[in-house]
Amino acid sequence: MSFTIVQILLLTAYSMYNIYDELQMNSSLSQPVWAGMISGLIMGDMKTGLVIGAALQLTVLGVGTFGGASKIDANSGTVLATAFSIGTGMKAATAIAAIGVPVAALLTSFDILARFANTYFQHKVDKDIENFNYKGIERHTIMGALPWCLSRGIPVFLALALGQGVVKTMVTYLNGDLAWLNTGLQTAGATLPAVGFAILLHYLPVKKHIAYLILGFTITALLSTVFTNIQALGTGLGAASKAFTTTFNALPMLAIALIGGAFAILEYKKSMAKITAAPATNAANSSDDEDEEDDEIEDANGEVDGDEEE
Amino acid sequence: MKKNNEAQPGYQLTKKDYNQINKRSLFGFQMGWNYERMQGSGYLYTILPQLRKIYGDGTPELKEAMKTHNQFFNTSNFFNTIITGIDLAIEGKKGADSLDTVAGIKTGLMGPFAAIGDSLFAALVPTIMGAIAATMAAQGNPLGLFLWLAVNIAIMVFRWKQLHFAYKTGTKLVSEMQGQLNALTDAATLLGVFIVGALIASMINIQVPLVAHLGKVSLSVQSNIDMILPKLVPACVVGLVYWLLGKKGMTSTKVIFIVIIFAIALSAIGVLGKI
Repeated sequence: MSFTIVQILLLTAYSMYNIYDELQMNSSLSQPVWAGMISGLIMGDMKTGLVIGAALQLTVLGVGTFGGASKIDANSGTVLATAFSIGTGMKAATAIAAIGVPVAALLTSFDILARFANTYFQHKVDKDIENFNYKGIERHTIMGALPWCLSRGIPVFLALALGQGVVKTMVTYLNGDLAWLNTGLQTAGATLPAVGFAILLHYLPVKKHIAYLILGFTITALLSTVFTNIQALGTGLGAASKAFTTTFNALPMLAIALIGGAFAILEYKKSMAKITAAPATNAANSSDDEDEEDDEIEDANGEVDGDEEE
Repeated sequence: MKKNNEAQPGYQLTKKDYNQINKRSLFGFQMGWNYERMQGSGYLYTILPQLRKIYGDGTPELKEAMKTHNQFFNTSNFFNTIITGIDLAIEGKKGADSLDTVAGIKTGLMGPFAAIGDSLFAALVPTIMGAIAATMAAQGNPLGLFLWLAVNIAIMVFRWKQLHFAYKTGTKLVSEMQGQLNALTDAATLLGVFIVGALIASMINIQVPLVAHLGKVSLSVQSNIDMILPKLVPACVVGLVYWLLGKKGMTSTKVIFIVIIFAIALSAIGVLGKI
């Protein structure tokens, strides 16, 4: 065995801290470069750690989590690649390709499991509210840390404890015979934000603002296609000719938000004009609004009723 | 606690409250993140002590407020306390009557703040700082890492400060612009709906990798779908899930299971794939 028990425990503890930092403080200690340096220090070779961390950092550059989507777990990938590279004398470049990237991709499934497991604690909180159990609400929210941290800790610990041979076999097995499950889980991870958006739409007054749902979707769908295609074109031209050095960026979401903001300002002005024009009917209007929103809040309890649809 | 009971419709946040909310937000806001209600329990956890002060322990109003704040919520964890600040300003002043307005404002604001926060702090800052740190680290120089840490600590300070600012803005909103609040809620929910449309088109990265072979002609299904409308597949999935959620006896947990099973099955037969 190429690792000491202390090293295994330290690396496991760090990988558990990784996801906590990423979710909460976001101090950058949970980024692959830091993962490389810290794992390198634990293994006694900071420089190799930095090189591996840098490579994986560049791999995930610009890959952010949006709206609760899972991204590849480059941090745990870096931890394991660094540990195996230093511990077994594997070349850094080999460790990145053979362990870092595949492990990072595989661990997406664990991220999905953690996000799913926490639904259990959400329902515990529901019960606590009924019983005015304030400590329970706090405890059951914080206990969500358990699935989160274990989703990184368990695979990293097992990989280190079982050793490189087992990890390689696992990776080839999961990329071979079980590839359908692995890609399936990733497809599921890419699809699941749809559930979040659909729930969100049940809370918002969709019928009233349906035109803006269509606008937001269509503007983004068209522009993102254009931007993605231009990016692909730029990469292709860059590969074809060294003289072509211009790079194109992805569609900036802030711009889309600003277009939405403009519509919101117009709507605000329109309703303000209505209010100032008819101050007497104001009271009646506002009570109407409240009734509307009542329905949406009822929906919120996990069980969504159907009267809105049919 | 008893004392606060009588001061019900007029609770003002103290410095201690600010610190407590900020601490909970920075260290525990996303721990309960789940597919069903995302940051729902986290939002409630962040403001629970203040809710107890506003409504008083054991009151039906408190239960109603706790339920309202335990619903679906998801925004950037860099901006969440802005929404919290506006929320508590309104609730502290108007009590349980304002819960509908507050729910509307929360839903209206979370979408835009998620979009802005994610593009700034989940994409832009890590891209710039990550590129700097990685370029230096590739040569074995850890300086870029510490630079990144310093930038992110500065961002944390900014996250800590924004609550106070938002609370003051919220208080001003309630006291000075009574009539405008409805107009604002309306505009905020409009923005929310618009942003959800944008998110559907940009954040659900799935496609149909199926290629049909008709004799010697191979036909890419996705490119045909793109000719009709790009991102049609994500739109259809959201529409289906929306419809499913409206069914009697359907819970979001069940829907999540259904989506996972269908995604794996469709991916296995090659109909659905990640981009």
